[in-house]
Amino acid sequence: MTDTLISLISIVFGIIGSNISGYIFKTHTLGLIGNTISGVFGSIFFIKSLGQFGFGPKSIMQSGDLHFGLFILNLFISFTGGFITVILIHKLKTMMNHR
Amino acid sequence: MEDMIFYDRLQFAFTITFHYIFPQLTMGLSLIIVYFKGKYLINKTEKYNDIAKFLMKIFAVNFTMGVITGIPMEFQFGTNWAKFSELTGSIIGQTLAMEGMFSFFLESSFLALFIFGEKLMGQKLHFLTGFLVFLGSWGSGWFILATNAWMQHPVGYEILDNGKFVLDNFSSLFSNPWLLPAFLHNQFASVTTSSFVISSIGAFYILRDKNLDYGKLLLKTGVVFGLVSSILLAFPTGDWNAKNVAKYQPASFAAMEGIFETEEAGAEIVLIGQPNMVEKKLDNKIAVPNILSFLTYQKWDKQIPGMDKFKKEELPDNIPALYYSYHIMVGLGTIFIGVMGMSVFFLWRRKLFNLKPLLWTIMFLVPFPYIANITGWYVAELGRQPYLVYGLLKTSEGVSPTVSSGNTLFTLLGFVAIYLLLGLLFLILVGKTIHQGPKPQIH
Repeated sequence: MTDTLISLISIVFGIIGSNISGYIFKTHTLGLIGNTISGVFGSIFFIKSLGQFGFGPKSIMQSGDLHFGLFILNLFISFTGGFITVILIHKLKTMMNHR
Repeated sequence: MEDMIFYDRLQFAFTITFHYIFPQLTMGLSLIIVYFKGKYLINKTEKYNDIAKFLMKIFAVNFTMGVITGIPMEFQFGTNWAKFSELTGSIIGQTLAMEGMFSFFLESSFLALFIFGEKLMGQKLHFLTGFLVFLGSWGSGWFILATNAWMQHPVGYEILDNGKFVLDNFSSLFSNPWLLPAFLHNQFASVTTSSFVISSIGAFYILRDKNLDYGKLLLKTGVVFGLVSSILLAFPTGDWNAKNVAKYQPASFAAMEGIFETEEAGAEIVLIGQPNMVEKKLDNKIAVPNILSFLTYQKWDKQIPGMDKFKKEELPDNIPALYYSYHIMVGLGTIFIGVMGMSVFFLWRRKLFNLKPLLWTIMFLVPFPYIANITGWYVAELGRQPYLVYGLLKTSEGVSPTVSSGNTLFTLLGFVAIYLLLGLLFLILVGKTIHQGPKPQIH
């Protein structure tokens, strides 16, 4: 497996996280489309910024073999990114339209 | 080594093909959204605004899928094409970074404002955000095409003793004679795809007797945009590109046109025929004499070098794929002009909305602009072979020496599985948006 595939799996976990978030917090859901889009951007934002601490796709494959612990951490952070972003975007949307 | 190059190329071809399904729609759609929003600003008819917001939802889903599938592209430069990145990074890195910093950020920031900020900003600023999304998406196309143009026709570079390419003239990246025609051709192709997409949504609504007002407006706008863009695709942009290939990549030109042997005077244009690589000829050929010479050089008897004039190592390595891609692209482009021309004619005669066979045709033609766009890119990429940077760096010299073919194959299989999943998700999301249709503004 190469880091290209890890980056993609990571985004899929972000999408799952955001849709679960929308399902749990029904007042904050953005709908299937909105949740999915938020999940993608949340995942990318979290992994691109926090991944610098050593669990980005490149670090996971640094030795040539898959570092399983870092991989799980990457997926967890990506999932969390998607989960949180739905709530943040909902708040942003409410603020922007509150005139 | 051969295996490694094959799988690296296969993976890149697969991922870029899937990726390009999305940006080709966003680039064209952004122009159409600006048109609808502008119309609303001018005549204050609500349905134009409703359609602009409806199309922006489709845009957002496409844009997101483009982002997801674009991430692996970035990684592949490092994993599969490390040598290429190392040697040319100081040149292609400039345009790729500009794409991210200027265009992608512009597009994504203002996309969010367009979707959420209408009430906050008012209509004029809302139009401006839509325009900036358009600018960002076309800017992305410009910078990516500038990268590709440099690979097709390298300019303004210097090669150091260690084999690395460095830029000695920054502005030449953007004044590259390959860039403008390629960019315009690519953008009009995107507008054609978007025109077919909105026309087919319009045709779908009319056939289902649903959202009729919106359906008619989408169809009407789609066919007019479609006719103009498909004509501009053929002439002048397609013609301009072909002349560039003839001038800068004559071996590729001979291969894509299927010219195995140089004719004494005046080259024929091949309409149909199958390349026979054993006997070095076209089987079952239907061709029109001298037309290719006239179209390329405006001289009926101008000689055009065939593949027999080039060494084997100068010719593209997959001539049948290049030849078929080119002929599929050109053939489909001709069909688009015909269908859109007919649609505009019946629109003018006020019969279009009742012509069911034509509405069904428009609806089912949707995949074909995508196929034409992708085969067009195959022509550019297969035509550049066996080089990564034309005439200077061979494809075999650009791969990563340490990534095994087994590793790439496993990753490729993973991509296939995940892209199937993402493709399904995309269809569900877009299908849901179309099913809901444009929503009238509630005051």
